[in-house]
Amino acid sequence: MSAAVRWPAVELDPVARLRALAASLPWVSLEEAVIEAPFARVWSYIDDMERGVPQFEGNVRRIEILSREGERLALRSFGPGGFAMEVEAVLRPGWCVMRGRLGEIGMAAAPVGPSATRFAHFEGSRWLGRMAKPLFRHFVRRDLVRLAALATSDGKGTSPS
Amino acid sequence: MKSPKASPEAAWIRAQRRSRTAFARPMLSAAVAMSESSRRASTEQGARSPAEVPGEPPAASPPLPGVQVSAEREDELVRSAQRGDALALSALVDRLAPFVGRICGPIALEHGEDAAQEALIAVLRDLPALREPRALYGWARRIAAREAVRHARAARRERPLGEPAVLPAPGDPALARDVRRVLEGLAPEQRAILMLRDLEGLSEREAAALLDVEQGTVKSRLSRARSAFKRRWSS
Repeated sequence: MSAAVRWPAVELDPVARLRALAASLPWVSLEEAVIEAPFARVWSYIDDMERGVPQFEGNVRRIEILSREGERLALRSFGPGGFAMEVEAVLRPGWCVMRGRLGEIGMAAAPVGPSATRFAHFEGSRWLGRMAKPLFRHFVRRDLVRLAALATSDGKGTSPS
Repeated sequence: MKSPKASPEAAWIRAQRRSRTAFARPMLSAAVAMSESSRRASTEQGARSPAEVPGEPPAASPPLPGVQVSAEREDELVRSAQRGDALALSALVDRLAPFVGRICGPIALEHGEDAAQEALIAVLRDLPALREPRALYGWARRIAAREAVRHARAARRERPLGEPAVLPAPGDPALARDVRRVLEGLAPEQRAILMLRDLEGLSEREAAALLDVEQGTVKSRLSRARSAFKRRWSS
């Protein structure tokens, strides 16, 4: 036997990876949904962060991209009431993790065939701790419903792409 | 836009504003205390205690295509991830996911994805209790191999082994093909020892410690596994 033999390795998709990442942040709430829309359409709302994310992420009213270097982004996020927060993010197809002073957000997607997408989303705040998990669970579920509605609608006036 | 009054959103906004001002310091202290508490709980409850790790020789980090990262930077990455830095965790997931996938695949075969998922969750969940950052990959290897054997054993109980299919001969170009069908004819413990010794390059002592068996057991199991593999490969 040699290393030339191709052993059957396993590749975990972004959703599986996000589940694992969330397991290491005990203060975040993670939820998943299968959205009946192609991966490219669903991910377009995350990929076009400035126009797409505020459409479904209830705690974000506006996003400004301050700088971008490869997958790394520096952002300024404006929450409800105009509260601004500096955020660092990693963004690539199927994977987005954000870290601000007060909280963390994660999103991942993987195709389920040609016309559906498994989407995972977490939010949480280490400052608020585990006590706030039910609140964040509510936020995350609300965001998933909004994203699914956007991605499965006819797209008029909603798709960022 | 809905009014934030008396809604969960309003609670979040108020909490954010408070944390910026007078309540910031007490909240941070509470968060740190809570984090420490959860870390202790994780160590006490974890079935795969990373406290076992310091005795194990540090394993080299897996190579990253096109990326040269110093050992010091890797250590700092692990420490940041242990502190709950989401971006450091994201980078660590990029390294660990293929690593556990490479171990779980040959052992658990069609259940490799489940095994890799659970192994990765276990590694990251218990990460704060890991004392030595450079022991990360040795510790992750141990968890992945045990998780893969557990899944493969469960699968074998559900479905007894069948006859192996026709296999490529050694030296044949087919050697580079998928060896899944050969491995299917072996027991999970044999697949684990083959993978750890012949693919990961562990010594008998290291493999014995990782699989929690005697060194003599590793030796005999490896001998049987190699014979079975060669027999099936050349039949």
